[in-house]
Amino acid sequence: MRAVREGDLSRMGLLFERHHRPLFDFLYRMTGDRGAAEDLVQDVFVRMLRYRSTYRDEGRFETWMFRIARNVRADHFRKHAGATYVPEDDMDWATDAPGPAHLLERARDMARLKRALQSLREDRRELIVMVRYQGMTHEQVGAVLGVDGGTVKVRFHRALKELRDAFARVPEGE
Amino acid sequence: MQCTDLGPQMLEYLAGTLPDDRLAEIRAHLAECAACRDEMDATAELWNELGAAPSPRAESARMRARFDAALQGYIDGQTESRVVTGAAFRRPAWQWQPWVQFAGAAAVLLIGIGFGRFLPASAPQPNADIALLREELRDTRQMVMLSLLQQPSASERLKGVNTSSQLEQPGTEVVTALLDTLRRDPNVNVRLATVDALRRFGSREVVRKSVVDALPQQESPLVQIAMVDFILETAGPEAKSVLQRLAEDMMLNQAVRARAARGLQQVGL
Repeated sequence: MRAVREGDLSRMGLLFERHHRPLFDFLYRMTGDRGAAEDLVQDVFVRMLRYRSTYRDEGRFETWMFRIARNVRADHFRKHAGATYVPEDDMDWATDAPGPAHLLERARDMARLKRALQSLREDRRELIVMVRYQGMTHEQVGAVLGVDGGTVKVRFHRALKELRDAFARVPEGE
Repeated sequence: MQCTDLGPQMLEYLAGTLPDDRLAEIRAHLAECAACRDEMDATAELWNELGAAPSPRAESARMRARFDAALQGYIDGQTESRVVTGAAFRRPAWQWQPWVQFAGAAAVLLIGIGFGRFLPASAPQPNADIALLREELRDTRQMVMLSLLQQPSASERLKGVNTSSQLEQPGTEVVTALLDTLRRDPNVNVRLATVDALRRFGSREVVRKSVVDALPQQESPLVQIAMVDFILETAGPEAKSVLQRLAEDMMLNQAVRARAARGLQQVGL
């Protein structure tokens, strides 16, 4: 990123190769919409280009990237307030898929879990996605959110508890 | 140790990243407290379930191609802006000094008023002009809509589908593009929106027939159910026989067959 900041824009391709997958994973799990997640990944990289001068050497590149991603995602939610997405995988869950019964049951549990996750408040969901799916430590998440690791630990525990409650509320038939 | 102290440390305990003294403290507490043991088990289970959820697969090649195009556009834009900035001062003053442009516009206006006073009045033709403008606007909107449907981004295509409902008297190419989107678009949300957009053309036999033909090719039961509803709502003369066929088609998803059977009851068979 330092090279990009100094004007070597061709290095952006390398950054894209390295980081677009985790970004897509984060934005897909936050929006529940593949098309929107793809668009937002593009937006994140374009913003990196535009605001490359704000990148500082101290701190991890991922921290800076996820801060931009959070802003991009927040702008997206503001623009699409009230829009509801049908999670794309829902159709698979709704089908009587072939295979052993336990696989079907497992698929349904996954579907319920996904619904429960989508039903959480954004800040709670974001914590779970960053810790569980991005593998970030509490300190790394804290650096992105601008709070200390201890605060993240407490908030994360609360988010997980809410997810458990939400999971229990999603009807089993869905 | 209190029960409330345990919560935030559960994951570290499960991950085995706590120092020995804290580990021993938690073990001692768990040995005494059944409620915390249950919560620990539930947390571990949820954590594992979360980990089992499949990762969404990024369409890397498509995304990279899009990004390369955006990057090139950005680089080109920067180059152009530098060239324009440098060239601005070499252009004549009327091209870049606002007061010169303003004075020119005022002079043209005065000359126009002067001429207008001496010219004979001609009969206005507002209706023809407005009709022409409307037609141009409709063509432009239609072009925008068709172009949006070709975009790689699903949300742009969704915009394109939604734009079609704002078109007055859309041409055949709009209907053809929507039918093509219904058959080929990879995104379920786009296809669902397309079924909705096609409802206004439900009185056309060719549209109804195309929807019926496209139904077995759909992979998504959600879209298929929306299409069954479309057949039901547009209520063409062929609706009954089509619904009957769908209700008996064992290749279709059970939920789709059930929807078709309910539809049959609605139309009174």
